[in-house]
Amino acid sequence: MNTTTAPNLLQRFAARVTEASSTYLEVAGWQQVVEHAGGYSEVVAIAPSLAAAQPEVRELLEDAGVRVVVPDGDDPAAEVADVPVAIVRAEMGVAESGSLLVSEHALGDRVVTMLCHRLIQVVAASDIVDRLEGAAEWLAARNGQPGFASLMTGPSRTADIERSLTIGVQGPDEVDVLVLTATDPTATTEDDA
Amino acid sequence: MKPFDERLDTALADDNVRTGLTSFQRGWRESRDTMIGALEEQEGRSFDELRQEFAAIKDGVRDNWDHYIDRFTANATAAGATVTRVGTPAEANEAFVRIARDADADLVVKGKSMVSEEIGLNHYLEDVGITPVETDLGEWILQLAGETPSHLVMPAIHKRKEQIAELFTRVLEREFPPDDIDRMVKVARTELRQKFLASGIGLSGANALIAEGGSIMLICNEGNNRMSVALPPVHVVTVGIEKLVPTYADAMKQVRLLARSATGQPITVYTNFVTGPRPGQQQHILLLDNGRTAMNEDPDVAAALRCIRCGACANVCPPYGVVGGHAFGHVYTGAIGLVNTEFHHGIEEVAGPQSLCVSCGACAQVCPTDIPLPMQILEIRQDVVESGAAVPGGRIAHLGIGAFGHRRLVDLGFRALGIATTPLRRDGVTKIPAIIADREPFATRVGWRSPPAIPVRPARDTLKRGKLAEPTPLDAQPLAGRRVQLFLQCLSDRMAPEIPIATAKLLRAAGAHVMVPREQHCCGLPAYDAGEQDAARDMVRQTMQTLEGIDDVVTPASSCLAMLKHDAPHLLRDDLDGLERSQQLAGRTYDLISYLTAGPGRLPAGSLDNGDRTPVTVHRFCQASNTLGRRDAIEQLLRDVAGVPVVPLPEASECCGFGGSTSVRHPEVSAGILDRKLGCVDRTETSILITDNPGCILHLRGGVHASGREVRVLHLAEYLAGRLPDATSADGSPDASTNGA
Repeated sequence: MNTTTAPNLLQRFAARVTEASSTYLEVAGWQQVVEHAGGYSEVVAIAPSLAAAQPEVRELLEDAGVRVVVPDGDDPAAEVADVPVAIVRAEMGVAESGSLLVSEHALGDRVVTMLCHRLIQVVAASDIVDRLEGAAEWLAARNGQPGFASLMTGPSRTADIERSLTIGVQGPDEVDVLVLTATDPTATTEDDA
Repeated sequence: MKPFDERLDTALADDNVRTGLTSFQRGWRESRDTMIGALEEQEGRSFDELRQEFAAIKDGVRDNWDHYIDRFTANATAAGATVTRVGTPAEANEAFVRIARDADADLVVKGKSMVSEEIGLNHYLEDVGITPVETDLGEWILQLAGETPSHLVMPAIHKRKEQIAELFTRVLEREFPPDDIDRMVKVARTELRQKFLASGIGLSGANALIAEGGSIMLICNEGNNRMSVALPPVHVVTVGIEKLVPTYADAMKQVRLLARSATGQPITVYTNFVTGPRPGQQQHILLLDNGRTAMNEDPDVAAALRCIRCGACANVCPPYGVVGGHAFGHVYTGAIGLVNTEFHHGIEEVAGPQSLCVSCGACAQVCPTDIPLPMQILEIRQDVVESGAAVPGGRIAHLGIGAFGHRRLVDLGFRALGIATTPLRRDGVTKIPAIIADREPFATRVGWRSPPAIPVRPARDTLKRGKLAEPTPLDAQPLAGRRVQLFLQCLSDRMAPEIPIATAKLLRAAGAHVMVPREQHCCGLPAYDAGEQDAARDMVRQTMQTLEGIDDVVTPASSCLAMLKHDAPHLLRDDLDGLERSQQLAGRTYDLISYLTAGPGRLPAGSLDNGDRTPVTVHRFCQASNTLGRRDAIEQLLRDVAGVPVVPLPEASECCGFGGSTSVRHPEVSAGILDRKLGCVDRTETSILITDNPGCILHLRGGVHASGREVRVLHLAEYLAGRLPDATSADGSPDASTNGA
């Protein structure tokens, strides 16, 4: 357990994540993230921003025999259309609502979270904040720079037909929230911040 | 859009609408209440505090509207967006088409946007050869069906799964079993994905415009909105200028209230903050006025601009539950639609829909931005009456209210009616001869509710000094030495005299000296409800004059109390002297239940316990709950003072269908609401229904009688007077047979 995260904060976050129909998992490092993703599919997409910031994630996946798709070409949507599994890194988690704040300005980043079937959202335990105002502060600190940030809370859903809840509509059917609770040798310094 | 009368007839003819919406409203209410309860616990503050805080933020924006519009515009522009202010729907549509032409786009994918509905964008685009495709599942279903949304959040909630399966089977040319909702939902993904990839423009609305960073906040559950924003090379936002909030932190306050009020979720799956276009994309933001500035300048309705389009006002609305949003509203549906339609689409478009409002006040209870919708709707109703726009039953109502202002005329009329209908009086109702009763349209329009028996003598005659025997005093005399002016209520005086008579007996038995001012008539509520505010003001003033003095005023009608306490100050806001007098009167006026529980007439536990343990149930008069804030006072009094078991009535505070003038203007709608109420009474398996508003009682008795139910409907006063030591059967004791079936 990361010392900067109060245990009850993590517990509340976990409870809200589960209530939102996502799967909650605590992992020691990226190696476990990769094992989790590889357990579902031999093809995994990762967001271009994650691939750039943490190139070791791609290496770990490829070492595990997974084909990695990074949609950074001319037609990113076509590259990841209906990809079975995708990994994205969240800026923060919000305990109040079980949401993950994902920043995805470029189209390549956005299509990963939109078009995959199973979305793995990775967040550092130290990046979990108590309330939605934490996300508001993050947004305000961007000071009007162009961007696209989403609070994502569970897999896509609808109740448009007779108010009957159906999970998995136009976005992902499954969302796994993986919390990095400790630093490991493959993690970047960002994790220790 | 088809004319209102046609839309109403279509809705009433389709049983799916009522069945589906009743079940939707019940399910929503449960989820919403659970969610709001959890929110109050989480925040350590009441819903009222939370919504008032957010309302103040929204009001603050409109006080400096230009400043916030400019700030948003500057920040969004700096982030790369092109912001254009558009005044009218025509300007908005033209601006959109210019953008489409410049982008050489002939296919538009649309996320849910009520503003695009407001400006009629789809029709406009189709006319110029551009194809709009709705991508929200509900909106897409309606586009395939050639319909418009019937709800702000759940656009296709009026449709049953069987209808949708049939539609998909026909349009998509493959089989869709009605029970496989999952399959129907998932087909949207396969059918729409190609449209997203091929379209030249993605359109979205906005749930908030954040001035601080020039961002738009956009929520959704399905994920379609994210695609229409991201995938096409051009993103266009159509949004009303009332959506501004100053900061991201303010937007989070909206987030906390919005999904809980809209769908009964703590938060939607996606809450997106879009600041400028993505790399390689253009972004255009069309800021629409279309009557919003005018609305802001009208103090009676300006608060409606706080609306965050959650749809909660429709989800608790009794007439909406019967007819749905195609009749209850125009483009904007539910209670809010009855207010903003006048400003966005003109008074003619709201004339019909507003006539459906029962003034029950339920919408104001759940509104997450604390908009005083019931009062605003009555302002709109007055505008409609003054404009001379065609409204169902409008002319008759106008003449009726005019005549009702004359007390002597009303007295004479009712006495004459009482004499004329004497041969038809049976079991507390007027038995209409079969030759009339069985004939259409009478059978459909009136047959569901037996008209009340009209007595020859009004209550005020029976209550003349010395006419009524003094009741045996109760052991407890909380009112000893107190003088009470009894305000009879105009309807019960002439149509249900047993109610004021029982009230007088009860007060006397508790020691009061009861006086009945002879000149009293009507508090003005029926006129106010009918949009005839001048007539209402005259009646309030007449009532204030009649009830002058310092004594307590007690009425068996909670509706009159709501009028004096809540509506009279609003009606008299420009008459300082009248306003002060009305407040003075309201301060010493009680309805019977508050007089007996919170006022001077508090009765000790067990003081009306005559040993009868026949269980009863209680209908809570809607305005008493929603406007006066009463909760379970009647139930508590019955348990504690009368010692009787009370079976809780499901949906106890929901309107019975009498409300306003709906039962006269729209009898089929009223019948639908009554049917839901009586269905709830059936579920309690009790045979005595107690309430305390004469209008409800006459309505419920008529419905019980016409449907052949074995339920007695009693005013609280009748029931309690029936437990006095010297009660006769006419006082409402269990063996009485004058009322109900």
